[in-house]
Amino acid sequence: MLNIALPKGRLGDKVYELFASIGYDCSEIYSDNRKLVFENKENGVRYLLVKPSDVAIYIAHGAADIGVVGKDILEEGSFDIYELLDLNLGKCNMCVAAPNDYVEDFDRPLRVATKFVNIAKNYYISLNREIEIIKLNGSIEIAPILGLSDVIVDIVESGKTLQENNLRVYEKIMPISARLIANKSSYKFKSDDIETLMEKLKKELAK
Amino acid sequence: MDEFLATLSKEDSLTYELSMLYKQWGYKEYRMAKFEEYSFYSDNRDFLSGKGILAFNNSDGRLMALKPDITLSIVKNAKLSDSLTKLYYNESVFRMSDSSMDYKEIKQTGVEVLGTVDDYLVAEMLMLAAKSLKTVDKDFILSISHMAFIPSLLAELNIGENVKKEIIECVKGKNTHDLRAICKKCGVSSEKTELLVNLVSLNGKMNDILPKLCELACNDEMNKACVELEFIASSLKKSELCDRLFIDLSVLNNTEYYNGIIFQGYVEKAPVAVLTGGRYDKLAGKLRENTQAIGFAVYLDNLNFYYKKKREYDSDILIIFDSADSSVSLLSLVESFVEKGFSVRVEHSIPEGYKAKTVYAFENGALREVASC
Repeated sequence: MLNIALPKGRLGDKVYELFASIGYDCSEIYSDNRKLVFENKENGVRYLLVKPSDVAIYIAHGAADIGVVGKDILEEGSFDIYELLDLNLGKCNMCVAAPNDYVEDFDRPLRVATKFVNIAKNYYISLNREIEIIKLNGSIEIAPILGLSDVIVDIVESGKTLQENNLRVYEKIMPISARLIANKSSYKFKSDDIETLMEKLKKELAK
Repeated sequence: MDEFLATLSKEDSLTYELSMLYKQWGYKEYRMAKFEEYSFYSDNRDFLSGKGILAFNNSDGRLMALKPDITLSIVKNAKLSDSLTKLYYNESVFRMSDSSMDYKEIKQTGVEVLGTVDDYLVAEMLMLAAKSLKTVDKDFILSISHMAFIPSLLAELNIGENVKKEIIECVKGKNTHDLRAICKKCGVSSEKTELLVNLVSLNGKMNDILPKLCELACNDEMNKACVELEFIASSLKKSELCDRLFIDLSVLNNTEYYNGIIFQGYVEKAPVAVLTGGRYDKLAGKLRENTQAIGFAVYLDNLNFYYKKKREYDSDILIIFDSADSSVSLLSLVESFVEKGFSVRVEHSIPEGYKAKTVYAFENGALREVASC
């Protein structure tokens, strides 16, 4: 039995459809929206629906064998897992965004508002730029508007939210997409099952 | 003996069983102090790879550290014999825990050999590592790697240290998609990129994978490593443990300290490696002239969680007595139960949540069986 952790929400739905299309369906998943664990013994899969930011934690601790998680979560945390495949789903970019009329002042440390503290830190370390981080948990776009920060570091999908808040992409940090990850121990003991699933996924994604 | 071991926690029973195993293979127990001068660890901070050092001032003002690592201490302090120094230990290390973000005492048992490391010794070490894992759980896998492959290939590439670090992270995570992207960005030839990807992707039983690995070998270091691995594979061929030895080149260690064979051990119930080891001539040579070394550690700290023992009863017998009815015969009754091999607890009333196979009430100098709890 393969235990698969999926992120609840839009990305999780897309990923489930992908898995179902290659023979790992579990129709029960549509029937009861409150349940968090769904099993199809015939296909040998058990899906666990968890908060997107927790998928990698479940995998690292072996509560699930494999899972799908955004690259942003992997970059922000530090997880001892295998990152096996780029599913090319949920594509977006991790960006530095700033007000439309922003001009960077290099005379002082940059004030950065973000919920991706480690990504922001590592990015500015690579530029050797001194920063002050303001950790926020949501509505990041509001920070530069209210003068809380100079810029924000956040995920940008279509850019519409930025646009509506008079912000623009100032720098691109990295592309983000959904990744298939595995627990290291599970990968060793269930390598046949996991590799079979990976091969099927690769074929489907290549279509 | 099995009954006795069954009463112990996984951690305690393993400490005993592994000590017996290492003694049988001719290793001597090595005991050490809990503290060492802080400067010794700070000089070798890279080897500790961010494990953190818990420091304090001793009575004469010297800065000391609670041991964050055993290997360093053994290599520095062990009395070397003319031939091989073969040691095993059961010790605690004090490190920063990833989960609690605070210092934690971690129990470790392991073996170290100092002296001249030859192919036989490497094979013996892998055999002992496999036997140690089998003692933890019959479902185990020992992943074997060799520092001659990925590091020697990276040394041939014209890339900076930061890019090397990024590639190493990809290798450790079997992340071939980002590995390809980084190589492309840094102008690594597609031939070398595919060789890296192929090496990282190899995964399977040693006997099945070794021919494929040796086909991919493309420099002297790799060819030499293949000869060493082939010797090991033939030495262990007849062992029942051979099927549990896997090749996995995503296992990588610090190139400043390690060379040759490195390995990690997994058991089915634990999500992380419970055994790590390898050959570390570079570290040994740094601390002791002309000394080579190999060893491994088994991490016992989380095994009690992964191998929970179902507790049916707190004791076989619970005897309830009233102080007023106290009799000299009660103690001898308890003693006779214990001598027969039962576990017995004596109380004035049944403790909350207590489970015993049989509950007796001690009344008028005799035992009366009452409902069990």
